[in-house]
Amino acid sequence: MRGKFTAAALLGVAAAVALAGCGSNTPAGGGSTGAGDGAKTEIKVWLVGTDTPQDARDYLKKTFEEQNKGATLTVEEQQWSGLVDKYTTALAGSSAPDVVEVGNTQATTFTSAGYFTDLTDKYEELGGDDMLQGFVEAGSYKGKFYAAPYYSGARVVTYSTDLVTAPVPTTWDEYMTDIKNATTDTMSGIYLPGKDWRDMMSFVWVNGGQIATQGDDGKWTAGFSTPEGIKGLTQAQEMLAYSKFPKDGTEGDQQIPFCAGQIAYLPAPSWISGSIAAAPDADAPGCSDTYAAEGKLHQFAAPGLTAGSYAPVLAGGSNIAIAAKSKNQDLAYKAMQILLSDDYQKLLAGVGMVPALSSQAKFMPDNENSKAASAAASAAISTPASPDWATVESSQILEDSFSKLASGTAPADVAQLLDDSINKQLNK
Amino acid sequence: MSTTTPPAVQTAGASRMPPVDVTDRKYNKKRRQPLPYLLLLPTVVILLVMLGYPVVTMIINSFYKYDRGAYIGFTEPEFVGFGNYTNVLTDSSFWLMLFRSFLFMIVAVLLTMALGVLMSLLMMRLNKGIRLLVSVGLLLAWAMPALAATQVWAWLFDTTYGVVNWVMTRLTGSNWFGHSWLASPLSFFTILGIIIVWQGVPFIAFSLYAGLTQIPTEVLEASQMDGASPVKRFFLIMFPYVRSIFTVMVVLSIIWDLRVFAQVQALQMVGGTADQTSTFGVWIYRTGTGGDFGLSAAAAVIMVFVMLVISFYYVRQTLKEGN
Repeated sequence: MRGKFTAAALLGVAAAVALAGCGSNTPAGGGSTGAGDGAKTEIKVWLVGTDTPQDARDYLKKTFEEQNKGATLTVEEQQWSGLVDKYTTALAGSSAPDVVEVGNTQATTFTSAGYFTDLTDKYEELGGDDMLQGFVEAGSYKGKFYAAPYYSGARVVTYSTDLVTAPVPTTWDEYMTDIKNATTDTMSGIYLPGKDWRDMMSFVWVNGGQIATQGDDGKWTAGFSTPEGIKGLTQAQEMLAYSKFPKDGTEGDQQIPFCAGQIAYLPAPSWISGSIAAAPDADAPGCSDTYAAEGKLHQFAAPGLTAGSYAPVLAGGSNIAIAAKSKNQDLAYKAMQILLSDDYQKLLAGVGMVPALSSQAKFMPDNENSKAASAAASAAISTPASPDWATVESSQILEDSFSKLASGTAPADVAQLLDDSINKQLNK
Repeated sequence: MSTTTPPAVQTAGASRMPPVDVTDRKYNKKRRQPLPYLLLLPTVVILLVMLGYPVVTMIINSFYKYDRGAYIGFTEPEFVGFGNYTNVLTDSSFWLMLFRSFLFMIVAVLLTMALGVLMSLLMMRLNKGIRLLVSVGLLLAWAMPALAATQVWAWLFDTTYGVVNWVMTRLTGSNWFGHSWLASPLSFFTILGIIIVWQGVPFIAFSLYAGLTQIPTEVLEASQMDGASPVKRFFLIMFPYVRSIFTVMVVLSIIWDLRVFAQVQALQMVGGTADQTSTFGVWIYRTGTGGDFGLSAAAAVIMVFVMLVISFYYVRQTLKEGN
């Protein structure tokens, strides 16, 4: 902690010195002819979580500042937990950030309330129909386009051959058996902290359950209490016994327990392999020297009920938008263009993310992780397409309910709790 | 204070002041001077801007359906009269939360006061060096930012890597690793209680200690010679001397423990189930940032009302002492 603070303080001093230097240099240099009218404009880009690799952040800053003399760009990292709450207030203020990343399932909450700049006339310029259409849909509201795709990520199962000797399972039941067999006193067969609803939804979906379905009258009906839903929750509860992770814990920093040899099968977004394979002395250390050494780290798409099919996983990913309250709309748009450019998306693809434009898929490395990610993406399911969905997410009812399931509450009671709350919130 | 100013001062003031002010002549006895009001002005302005404006906005918002669109100025908020109040008061989760908040407050206040009293009595008996050490320890606990304190306690009780689970494993012999301390609401509130009481005791202890040192030693010595037991000495001699301080401390603790926010919010980020552990402030915050600012404003107005009722006693007590 101390080291970090000192580093941050030094960085602050360095930045102050650098800025002061710029200030005194500008008049001598004859003034720039760029977009910044003399004064330095600062563009703030909010990226969420550790998903975006550091070299992509550096590339964005460098490229933007080269293209727009007199403007600086700062990337500020936000946390996934509490993001909707934070955006609700931060994007409405006078010091709103300019460009923001938002989870695909959260986008509608903000597009429907006028939080983002309307980009309908920029649609073609940004990539048109080449953009991932599922994400264009997530970023549009009432025929207007607000938030462009940023990346798509699929949830794959990652394991190390040091800890798992069984062959890759071909059916869901085989996968469950492998998890049970892999569990030891010190190792969890599967990584499932109690609040990890994103991974536990696979159990519900593979058994035929649904979060909620919309009737012809527009009314939503939650589906956890159906026989299929209960079956899924029951199986999730059974498998939770093979996870030694906190019953009220959230998913995150999975590389730490993985590198401690505590996880056999790790269901997580495909970019997690990059975090695990980091050097042991990196800022965010991984274990490229042990469990993730050359050739030991493997990935597969969770198999479905029958051989050759895949289990549904949550369609994950992000959209990128310009805050309506941003004072630098033009510069923000320029930053956004870099985020969707080939060179930038290539860096995202390198760590296993599916790029924003279909034509950029060729940048994905030809390896096991990419293949597993595409296979999993083919069976991905999204959350209910309702503007009120983010309210469900931010109410934490999903985290709370699955945490109760992990603590031993009967599946039928958990289902009832979920259905009551979701029905109420989606049919306001 | 101004009402009991001796007349001598007033005449002195009058002779200094030129007889320009009309009010000066009108009120011969209670002369009005502009200076005190001028000195009060900055405080009043700051209070109006920092407190008055938000409170008025909150009251106005509580009568509107105020969602995200209205918040950012994208749509017009819709007037719903007392709709938000009816919704809050008929919401079972609101009443559950209210019950939870009060129950927690009562337990926390009792513990804080008991430990605070014991601590102040202990400080009376300690010699100078040790007393300084204890004071520093208390000050450190008190001065620690609530958020930092919560994080430290959360790490101590961490499910996977916490030292408490390690100690429990060592002591009991059975495996405590993986035990979630925050998962059950009861143990969540136990840990929250530890944090709140730990940070609340120092203020109580210092204030009561200051009060106890003011008791004339001869009174205590006399009672001791008359054969009063320590318990009797405390309840019959010492306590009456510090009664007024004690009462104020209780009222303040009630208010503080009822509106506790940061610690609950931070603990919920670590673990626990939000719908079973939210207290007054957190419930309001969640409702608001969840997209319903009108409903949360209505709940906040109710909270202000509850607080006013509780602090009424405190204000009256303060005024009494002023007189």
